[in-house]
Amino acid sequence: MFHYDVFVNSLADLPEEKEVQLALRDLAAGTHKYCYKNVSALVSADQEKYEHKLQIRFGRGQVHEIPYSIKILNPVERIPERWL
Amino acid sequence: MVFKDNREFIEALEKAGELVTIEQEVDWDLEAGAIVRKVCEEKAPSPLMNKIKDYPGHRYLGAPLTSHRKLALAMGLDPDSSIPEIAAEYLKRTNRSPVEPVLIEKEQAPCKENIIIGPEADLFSLPGPMVHDGDGGRYLCTWHFVVTKDPDNGDVNWGMYRQMVYDHKTMTGPLLPFSDGGKVFHGKYKPRGEAMPFATVIGPDPLSAVAASAPSPIPETKFTGMLMEQPVELVKCETVDLEVPAHAEIVIEGEILPDVSLEEGPFGEYTGYRTSPRDLRTVYRVKAITYRNDPITTISNMGVPTDEGQLLRSFTLGLEMDKLLRNQGIPITGVYMLPESTHHLVVVGVKAIYTNIATQIAQAVFGSKLGPWFHMVLVVDDKTDIYNVDEIIHALCTRCHPINGIHVYQGVGTPLYPFLSAAERKKSVGPKVLFDCTFPLDWDPFSEVPSLVSFKNVYPKEIQDKVLNNWEKYGFKPR
Repeated sequence: MFHYDVFVNSLADLPEEKEVQLALRDLAAGTHKYCYKNVSALVSADQEKYEHKLQIRFGRGQVHEIPYSIKILNPVERIPERWL
Repeated sequence: MVFKDNREFIEALEKAGELVTIEQEVDWDLEAGAIVRKVCEEKAPSPLMNKIKDYPGHRYLGAPLTSHRKLALAMGLDPDSSIPEIAAEYLKRTNRSPVEPVLIEKEQAPCKENIIIGPEADLFSLPGPMVHDGDGGRYLCTWHFVVTKDPDNGDVNWGMYRQMVYDHKTMTGPLLPFSDGGKVFHGKYKPRGEAMPFATVIGPDPLSAVAASAPSPIPETKFTGMLMEQPVELVKCETVDLEVPAHAEIVIEGEILPDVSLEEGPFGEYTGYRTSPRDLRTVYRVKAITYRNDPITTISNMGVPTDEGQLLRSFTLGLEMDKLLRNQGIPITGVYMLPESTHHLVVVGVKAIYTNIATQIAQAVFGSKLGPWFHMVLVVDDKTDIYNVDEIIHALCTRCHPINGIHVYQGVGTPLYPFLSAAERKKSVGPKVLFDCTFPLDWDPFSEVPSLVSFKNVYPKEIQDKVLNNWEKYGFKPR
């Protein structure tokens, strides 16, 4: 059961053990499923390393068969404050 | 018969046997999309889904205009009307004078039965479907249009620009710079650092939707009235200076932001592929949502033929080209775009009275504002039925000289063309090709031009009539 997924052009977009900004989709069931969250996070190809399971998709929706794990560090706001 | 709203049209679909009502619960997460996709591929009736998981009180209508039968109904015609009959009616109505819309009071407008403004206006309160597995998000807006206004001259545009739910308050989508809405946003609002007000209309009456998909130079508010043969009723928005069809199911109001872009896509597209990759695209920020009681979210599911994008864009693009070529004095007999070509192939019939007329036709349509949306023009003579696929394929394979009859041009394309390289898509490059399927005029008609061997071409009229009149007596099924 995945907690989040992320779209990448290649796995190079997910450097391990390095803080990275990502646009995640929340996969929790319910009306808010697929809501985007912009975060800074740590990811690992070891799916047991962090608490949350991360599914990876490529640019045209193809699923990467090997899941990662993710630790969310902070939310990131990308929309300028004057529009919020 | 004019349908003032989506609901009257649904009744007409049902009477014509073009509606299936689904009472069991349907999941918004892929199931509804899969039903609509299957309907498109099977050319089945439109599904009305009355119970949606997680969204009590909401309903879906899928595949509202995926066939010429449904299009004929939408225009108030006999559903068994032929494509040329529907086309003739479209041309008749849209060659008349524009019909001004009328503004009605908020109290009379069904789309104002529920008004949510400010923080409570949450996009996840609406049942945006996950249309295809692998899409970048929930595409709430697939059979809809986006209303915008030119800040300088006040010209209003309705355009079908897909929109994906990003978060509670945000949608994203491609607003291509050569679309009418895109020209105003990228050319005026964005350079000034100003947000562009928008209103997304979901579940419009069928002819407002046809107007929004038609590339006519006439403003859609007036073009809809021409199609309806009466004014379309509009009502003022709550938070932006725009007007929307009063009988729409759902209206989302807000602003398109000039200085930020966010991820959108991928999405199953009208070409039948996911072509344009996920990318940073235009951001729509929501301020208000209004909707009818028991609202019906309309779903179009793009993919392999035939969906609304293919059928309607082919229909309206072809007929707008018909007008353009006739206005240029070119002696065409008609224009037809095959829906199965995902509106990439234009078939033009012409009475060739001078040499190289096919090149003139191709250059006129490729160079028009319609040009980015297709890349193949096939010109046939006036004796070929442009609506008959068998005749078109036969003409292409027998009359188009592989060296002299095929002409390749460079032009403007869209990032959605599956055959383009990634670099070409980024640069709006769009190679074009003309298939000239007319015999050269300088060939001697008796010694050089081959004679077509067909029922209608090689038998005397009296023999043809005799065979047709006796067709059933011979034992064949009625024609």
